[in-house]
Amino acid sequence: MDKIDRLGWAEGITFVSYGVPLGVRLNRAGMLEQLVDRFPPGWKPSRAGTVERLYSLIIGGVGARPGIRRFNILYGNTQKLLRTLDIEEFLTVFESDVKLHVAAGARRRVFIHAGVVGWKGQAILIPGRSFSGKTTLVAELLRAGATYYSDEYAVLDSEGMVHPYPRPLSVRENGKHVKHAPEIFGARSGSKPLRIGLVIASKYKEGARWRPRALSPAEGALALVENTVSIQRQPETAIEALRRALPNATILKGTRGDAREVVDFIRRKLL
Amino acid sequence: MNNTTNGFKPRARKAGLVVRELSGELLVYDRERNQAHSLNETAALIWKHCDGHSTIAELRSTLEAETGASVDEQVVRYALRKFTKLSLLEEPLRASVGERRLSRRELIQTIGLAASVPLVVSIFAPSVFAAASCTQTCTVPADCTVPGCPNCPVPGGKCSA
Repeated sequence: MDKIDRLGWAEGITFVSYGVPLGVRLNRAGMLEQLVDRFPPGWKPSRAGTVERLYSLIIGGVGARPGIRRFNILYGNTQKLLRTLDIEEFLTVFESDVKLHVAAGARRRVFIHAGVVGWKGQAILIPGRSFSGKTTLVAELLRAGATYYSDEYAVLDSEGMVHPYPRPLSVRENGKHVKHAPEIFGARSGSKPLRIGLVIASKYKEGARWRPRALSPAEGALALVENTVSIQRQPETAIEALRRALPNATILKGTRGDAREVVDFIRRKLL
Repeated sequence: MNNTTNGFKPRARKAGLVVRELSGELLVYDRERNQAHSLNETAALIWKHCDGHSTIAELRSTLEAETGASVDEQVVRYALRKFTKLSLLEEPLRASVGERRLSRRELIQTIGLAASVPLVVSIFAPSVFAAASCTQTCTVPADCTVPGCPNCPVPGGKCSA
């Protein structure tokens, strides 16, 4: 850490998100404002003397000599996380790592990798990792009139209620992440915690037909455990939240093709 | 102890497990192995009665009393074999020489009702990083430096878990 400490830092901030204290420092002044947009929802500045993770951001850019560009380098504590010329990629990886560590370290909330929308007063959860198509399904549900909660994490409290995680939707367009406000899809963001009414554990496969099978609550809980960030660190908290969250939920598992087919199915048969 | 005889008295493991009931089923998290299991109602009933005092025959009788239906001893043995495989018993059940071990399919054919057959579904719980969204662009795997996303499936695409 000493080596990184000696690099010379122009500005920094310590903040708390979901009870997790984090720190950020930059080698260049004036970038912090751009960075705080990438912090997790509900973050607050703090005066914490110690943090769980300190991010050190070395902003590269144009070098001293013409035609030379310097790398942007990101450290999480002493670990080098990224070295890239692409500033957008740099900020995206920073954002993703911060959110992941908050999700893993939160004591009073359980973070499940999932898209969430509100539908007739209940939450629909779409658990899944990258490339499982959850954002596409969330966007389609928003177009159909759902309320936006999250396209990244389902945040459960100890009673099993789902809280909003209000970040713009991160839609992949031509291989890049593009952020869209839910209003683009004609939707508004939810604010109240909701009970889970439906879980859709689906995988995208081009041309597949949506023929889901219903899972029992315990089997369905496994589908969520598979995507629970803090399950290894805090299994008691996570399992208890799932126990409270799932008894009355319908849980469906299957391979889906077009997201519209799933939305039609929900409209016709469920909730 | 000879765990292959009818005198075997299975005891459910308690240490290192987080156990919660969900509508008659059980969700079990094994802290030592970072595995999660869901036990359907039949499996849950058998496991809950593995108290170290009941033999396989007694477990069968208990199961009959609780379900109000006739239960084949093979059902109990099948569940105990599953529990043994997943380290959910203090002492493992060992197969005796020549013992016929029914598969789940054979058990369903014998009993005739899939719901009465003990079912245990298991997964390995993900580490923090395995549950991450991979956002880094890559040409070769060496470009993928973010923990949990070490692979580069397509040059020019995103790193993946």
